[in-house]
Amino acid sequence: MDNQPITISSFPQAILHLDADAFFASCEQAIHPEYKGKPVITGKERGIVAAASYEAKARGVQRGMRLFEVKKVCPDAVILPSDYETYSLFSIRMFEILRRFSPDVEEYSIDEAFVDLTGLRRSFHGSYESIAEKMRKTIETELGITVSGGVSLSKVLAKIASKHKKPNGLTIISGREIHLFLDKLPVEKVWGIGANTSAFLKKYGILTALQFAKREEGWISRYLSKPYREIWHELNGRSVYSVVTETKSSYQSISKAKTFTPASKDETFVFAQLSKNLENACIKARKYRLAATRLIIFLRQQDFMSSGVEIKLSKPSAYPIELFELLRKGFQQIFDAKTLYRQTGVVLSGMVAENGIQYTLFDDTTKIEKMSKIYSSLDKISEKYGKHTIQHGASLPAKLQAQHEGERGDVPQRKNTLFKGENKRQRLGLPFLHIKI
Amino acid sequence: MFTYNNLMPKITDKVKPQSTIREIERLHSVIPSCPEIVDFAGCSAKNNSSNLIGKQEKLNFVIIGKSGKQVSDLIAISVKVKMIGTVEAGFPSPAEEELVDNISFDDLLIQNREATFLLRVSGDSMTGAGIMQGDMVIVDKGLTPKSGDIVIAQVDGEWTMKFLRTRGDNVTLTPANPKYQPIKPKNELKIAGVVTAVVRKYK
Repeated sequence: MDNQPITISSFPQAILHLDADAFFASCEQAIHPEYKGKPVITGKERGIVAAASYEAKARGVQRGMRLFEVKKVCPDAVILPSDYETYSLFSIRMFEILRRFSPDVEEYSIDEAFVDLTGLRRSFHGSYESIAEKMRKTIETELGITVSGGVSLSKVLAKIASKHKKPNGLTIISGREIHLFLDKLPVEKVWGIGANTSAFLKKYGILTALQFAKREEGWISRYLSKPYREIWHELNGRSVYSVVTETKSSYQSISKAKTFTPASKDETFVFAQLSKNLENACIKARKYRLAATRLIIFLRQQDFMSSGVEIKLSKPSAYPIELFELLRKGFQQIFDAKTLYRQTGVVLSGMVAENGIQYTLFDDTTKIEKMSKIYSSLDKISEKYGKHTIQHGASLPAKLQAQHEGERGDVPQRKNTLFKGENKRQRLGLPFLHIKI
Repeated sequence: MFTYNNLMPKITDKVKPQSTIREIERLHSVIPSCPEIVDFAGCSAKNNSSNLIGKQEKLNFVIIGKSGKQVSDLIAISVKVKMIGTVEAGFPSPAEEELVDNISFDDLLIQNREATFLLRVSGDSMTGAGIMQGDMVIVDKGLTPKSGDIVIAQVDGEWTMKFLRTRGDNVTLTPANPKYQPIKPKNELKIAGVVTAVVRKYK
C-alpha cells in the first residue's frame, strides 16, 4: 500500500521554496571574503548566536548559544555584530532577482521566498528544475550567497523539498515521488505540525508524514482542526496555500524590542531602552498612519524569564509624549531593582487608522493639534537628517549604550566606514565590500 | 519663472557643445526642455518619476554632450527635473506627463542594482586611470569581465584592483602606475566583479 504514489500527475502546479543558507553569516562572508570557509557567527551585540555559518555549525555551534560557550567549542570562530543594514539589502536584492523570473514572488521572511513557477516551462524552454537552478546560480553570482531550493506541488511539499538537501542544494518532488519523500519524514518535521500535534498523532499510530497523508479525509476532519486539514491536502499534492505577492500595507500590531549587553540593573538605563522601543514603535505606526489602542510592555531578565503588563489606552495614540506617563507606571509595576535585565520591548496593538480617531468633548483638541504638528515636524526632520536626530529626553541614556557598543566593537564595520556625504545614520543603499585594494 | 512648451523648435542643432543652459537661454531665449537636453546629450531615455529642482540650479548645469564624433566623449550629466508652472501643482500637470526622458545619477551609475557593490580604494596602483586613494568605486558582480575592464580580482589569494588583459590564453593584470608591476596569476584567479565607475566628492 505504501508503495503507491500519492498522485500520478507530475506538476499540476509548481511552487518553489527558496531558503538562503545561514543567511546572516553568509552575507558577512560575501562582504568579507576573507571569512569564506571559516566559522562565522553573528549576534555579538546580543551576547548570543543569532546566525552561524555552516562551518561553525559543523563545529557544534548552535543558534541561541551564549558566546562564551561558543568560544569553548570553537575558539577560532569569527564573532561579528549584527549588520541589519547589509542583511536587508541582500534580502531585497534576492527577492528582486527572483522577480526577474516570475512576478509571483512571496517574501515569506527575510531569507525565504515562495515562487509560483506554474506555466513558466514554456517561456524558459526548460524544466522547473532548470528554472530553479538558474535562479540559484544568478543569486550566487550576483550576491555571493548560496540558497537551497525545493520545487513541488504545494508550499508544504516545497518546504520539505528545500530542506532535503542543504546547503546549496535543489530538490524536486514531482507528484509521483511524493510518497518516497514523505515515507522517510517524521511527522513533526512537517511545516505547521508541532510537538503537541505530533504527540497526538502518535497515539493513532501516525509517525511519518506519509502515514498522515494517507489517512482518510473523514478521520482528518473528525480529529483535527482546519489548519491541519489544510496541511493534509498540501501533503497530498493539492495546493491550498497560494503564493501571496501582496506586501504588507498595514499592521495589526507593531512591536519593537532590543537586547543589550551587558545586562543592567540601572533603572534609568533600562527605562531609557524601553522609552526608545516606544519611540521606534510610534515612528513606525505614524509611518503607516496608524494609532494604537493597547500598549504592552515587557522586560526580559538575564535568566530569560520575562515579565510584562498590558495597558489599555483611553484614546488611540502614536505620540510617545502622550504615552510616557503610562509607560512609566507600567514599568514601575514590573521593574525589580534587584534583577539584571537583558532586553526591553514594547508592543502597540489594536491599531486603528490615524484619521479615523473620534475625539470626545473632554479631549483638548488644541493640544492634540499641537502634538500632531510637533510629530509631523519631527518625522520630516528624521527623513532629512536621519532617524533619532531628535529624541525624547527619557531615551537619551540609551545613547550611552550605543557609544559603549561602539567602543567594544559591537557596531557593524559599515557604520565606521563612511564615504563623504554619508553619516552614522544615513548611508548609500548599496552593500560595501570589505576588500583592501 | 520658466514654462514648458513642447511646441518650441528643436534647438539641439543650434547649440554648441559645452554650453551651459544659461548660455542657451541667453542666445536662443529659450530654456531647453528635459527631453531636448537628453536628446542632445545622447543619453538613453528612461521612464521615471521626477524630483523637484529650482530654476536657478538648472541654469547652472553644463551640458557635455556625447553624440556623434563631434563633441567630447564625456558622459552627459542630466538630472531629473520637474517642471514647475506658475503655480506649484498639487495634481499632476500636463508637463509632468511629458517627462519620460530623464535619468538620475542612480540610473547613470547603477545598471544592475542587485549586483552592484561599493568599495573604497586604499592603494594607488590605478592612479593613472584616475582612481585615487580614498575614492569610491562601483563594482558590478553581474558583468562578464572582458579584456580592458578594470576588475577586482583575487590572485593567488591576494586581492587587487587592476586592468584585465587577455591575449588568447594569457591573462595579465596590469596596473596604471609605473610603481607597480603587472601580475601574472600562477595558481588561481578569481574575479569578484567589474569596476564600472569611480566616484569622488569634494564638498
